[in-house]
Amino acid sequence: MNAIDRLHPTVMPVYFLAILLVAMFVSNPVISLLALLGGFLFCMTQCGLREMRAELKFYIPLFLLMALTNPLFSHNGVTPLFFMNGNAVTLEAITYGAAIALMVLAVLSWGKGFGRVMTSDKLVYLFGKAAPQLALMLSMSLRYIPMLRRQAKQISRAQKVAGMYSTESYFDRLRSTFRVISALIGWSLEQAVETSRAMRARGYGLKGHTSYSNYHFRRTDALLLTLAAILLAVVLVGIGMGAVDFAYYPAISALPHTALSVAVYTAFGCLSLLPSCIELGEQIRWNYYRSKI
Amino acid sequence: MKKWISYGLLLVGIPLVLLLGATVFSTKQYAWLAMAVMVLTCVPFFLSFEGRQHGATRLVVIAVLAALSVVGRLLFAPLPGAKPVTAMVVITALYFGGEAGFMTGALTAVLSNFQFGQGPWTPFQMFAWGLIGLVAGLLAKPLKRSRVALCVYGALSGVLYSLLMDIWSVLWYDGGFNLSRYLATVLTSAPFMAIYAVSNVVFLLVLEKPIGSKLDRIKTKYGI
Repeated sequence: MNAIDRLHPTVMPVYFLAILLVAMFVSNPVISLLALLGGFLFCMTQCGLREMRAELKFYIPLFLLMALTNPLFSHNGVTPLFFMNGNAVTLEAITYGAAIALMVLAVLSWGKGFGRVMTSDKLVYLFGKAAPQLALMLSMSLRYIPMLRRQAKQISRAQKVAGMYSTESYFDRLRSTFRVISALIGWSLEQAVETSRAMRARGYGLKGHTSYSNYHFRRTDALLLTLAAILLAVVLVGIGMGAVDFAYYPAISALPHTALSVAVYTAFGCLSLLPSCIELGEQIRWNYYRSKI
Repeated sequence: MKKWISYGLLLVGIPLVLLLGATVFSTKQYAWLAMAVMVLTCVPFFLSFEGRQHGATRLVVIAVLAALSVVGRLLFAPLPGAKPVTAMVVITALYFGGEAGFMTGALTAVLSNFQFGQGPWTPFQMFAWGLIGLVAGLLAKPLKRSRVALCVYGALSGVLYSLLMDIWSVLWYDGGFNLSRYLATVLTSAPFMAIYAVSNVVFLLVLEKPIGSKLDRIKTKYGI
């Protein structure tokens, strides 16, 4: 249980959507960097350092790939660095590739952290009122996945004992997996019918059914949502007034640094870093209290 | 009421998004726009599914089939390119109708991406697999009658899935549609496209009979 988990399920989606909206619509390197920083920190607080290091092994090559291949497809820009097959490789194209790659990495890291926070029970809670049948189906599927995986492992173990799965060849593994799936299908369909019988026996679909949830909208949640609304308003007004306009083509423009654009950077930085700050603050407090015991 | 929301979304929502994209957010936001359009396209199907009261059995069976195709994707993850998802979606559509096929496809995309990574590509996969299921449901009669037609459908849906996802990659990398980049992407993903097509056919041929007979067996055993 961490600080983010205790928030109401509506809070994090609001932050997530607000940050992604701005990060993907605004092509300003400062905004992209702030979004990336927030995403990395958030991902780190949710997934831990070791997993983050493994992620970086995937992120860094992706970044280089995107930054370096953009000049192959885009020959815009006024500053040619050198010519390849008669096409100019421009400084602007490389910079634009790098900027897009930053944005992509920011979105990926936010998506990863968010996926960790928005557990299935929260999603079902959010959608349950508007679409109860869909939410029920989603939650049942989610429940079946680990169950079926466990069953698949049992089936494959039983087959291994019976002497199958003997070689490492592609086709042998393919055949064995097919056998497991075939057994799994029969088993799971029977499960499905039994479940539906049990549901009907307990009165599914009758009038007056209520559902249980353990989420409360607290003062912290209201505060965080208001804060998000204010910060997003500042950012959007700033964007509307062109305070953070930035162009890569034809020539890289100067980075806007008026008072208004600094205000937009600050507001977006707060928006992007707030979730990780909440989490880090909680962890510091936890360690502080524990050190006093 | 729900019907009107669906029509409204399709007839007003999508053009509105496109118009907004063309005017307000001048350049480079095509990936976002395409994503919004994909989401809006999926919503009417969900609404129409939600609009009718389904029996417990139908709900649970669709949920199990979606879970099965997710687990199938996980089991085959070590073998690159081989995904039984399309086959499962098509088979569901053949036996439970196009709507169930759409739901299985869309659910599989959302659920399996909890494992493989959620992202802006999720709506595209939802749409692609959902559409494969929906069309299979519409063509259920000829597909059930001839195995050749089933194989052709499997191969075609593999190719179309790959082409659609390539559009997505290009929009995502470039921010706009760049034909030379698209062709390059199609070329680099051609081996995957081939594996998709072939594996779809194989999965369909191998899985169609057993699942069908298992469904029949369940029907006799429990007297549905």
